[in-house]
Amino acid sequence: MKLKTILAAAAASSIAMGALAHSGATGIVLERMQAMSAMSEAVKKVTPIMRGEADYDADTVRAAAQTFEEHSGTAMTELFPRDNANEKSYAKPAIWEDWEEFERLAVRLETLSQGLAQAADNGLSADEAQADTGAMMGGDASAMMGGDTSAMMGGTSSEVSMEELAQMPADDVFAEISQSCSSCHTRFRAERD
Amino acid sequence: MRKLILSAVALAAAGIAGVGVVVAWPIKNPVDAIEMTGDAQRGAYLARAGRCIACHTNWDGGGKPLAGGAPLVTAFGTFYPPNMTTSKGAGIGNWTAEQFAAALRQGVSPEGNPYYPAFPYPFYANLSDQDIADLWAAFQTVPAVDEPAPANDVSFPYDQRWGLKLWRAAYMFPPSTRPVEGKSDEWNRGRQLVEGVTHCAACHTGRNFAGGRKLEEKFRGFDGLPGGGRSPAITPEALREGGWSVSDLAYALKTGIMPDGDAFGGSMGEVVTYGTSFMSDADREAMAIYLLNEDETQ
Repeated sequence: MKLKTILAAAAASSIAMGALAHSGATGIVLERMQAMSAMSEAVKKVTPIMRGEADYDADTVRAAAQTFEEHSGTAMTELFPRDNANEKSYAKPAIWEDWEEFERLAVRLETLSQGLAQAADNGLSADEAQADTGAMMGGDASAMMGGDTSAMMGGTSSEVSMEELAQMPADDVFAEISQSCSSCHTRFRAERD
Repeated sequence: MRKLILSAVALAAAGIAGVGVVVAWPIKNPVDAIEMTGDAQRGAYLARAGRCIACHTNWDGGGKPLAGGAPLVTAFGTFYPPNMTTSKGAGIGNWTAEQFAAALRQGVSPEGNPYYPAFPYPFYANLSDQDIADLWAAFQTVPAVDEPAPANDVSFPYDQRWGLKLWRAAYMFPPSTRPVEGKSDEWNRGRQLVEGVTHCAACHTGRNFAGGRKLEEKFRGFDGLPGGGRSPAITPEALREGGWSVSDLAYALKTGIMPDGDAFGGSMGEVVTYGTSFMSDADREAMAIYLLNEDETQ
């Protein structure tokens, strides 16, 4: 069984590498794709754990957290030099037009990755407690329809600090990480052909 | 020749009269008074699931919640999702609950004008009075922003709002949200969400020259989304072929993570970030069960 898993992982990563080679990317664009690939491999490893479908293993979670951290922050932003803006890639020009936001998301990923490493021993959340309703509509006071605390009606909930992350169930921290991947892709990655 | 001119004139007159009839055609159906008390919490949940908040807020532009969304650039022109805050001048602060109900379920403004289908009101047609009351209560909690959204920039002939009445007659289908007997509660809950408030088909179904959904292409994906985006096919067959299980799909709606370890970008990233990530695990799983048509009771 173990061997099978390893073989499958080897096959998957060779396919991923093949795809990279096939794209004809070179230089820094290739480095970028390798970094993203490393992260998606790590995501695939921890996702069954985070969904509660595989046995919880803190070491696997820490290893994934380390992979994310290695490719976040300046390690991420350095892969997108401004003089590279015109090179053919999936990177949208918005990266360089809105560099501050791109940098913020890269740094956020770094913080979240460190948070996940610290939260690795916390295990999964006991039950699916719903997101704080107050945040739902984006509000201030009621938080529901438009404020700070409540995210529900559209208010942006304030960013969770490292100390808070360290106390959170690992799957909740991981959900924050995946949201940061998705936010960044939504704004800064072109869609595939 | 004279006869020809006469018939041309007659035709033109009939055309003008026809347009006159369409212009005067009242489209608003009576709305019963919305009298029940709304639950703002539940309404906010619906506003998340229905993408009200996602679309009517300009997130990238740093806009306030529901103060008007980022422009939607389409083949018909540019649409600006309006200000839905409690501002009396710029938002919906002067509306009644009944006007709100007619806007959502019928796509008709308080003045009796039809909305452009960039607003996915056909999917909201089966919202219950309680749903409307809850949403209404939730929208009352939104801080007022007194700056109106820009007017839509739509070119001729699409700027002729009477034409939308013909559009409604041709393309406004009632959503198939009603429960199907013999199916599980989860499957039916998924159907209610997917076909109704979460309006998956708005982006994942092809549209024709007039922006009407092509029913025979339901959930088969579309290349012409606003802003040039593309959506993949999400039929049960296409999803299975892409390696999606119920658990994968439910988890993707929560986190944006796909089975290959990638994370959603494009407009689906927004759907998750501002919408489905706020839903309950049970609802996301129900949506996945319905989309994959996996019903354990079958």
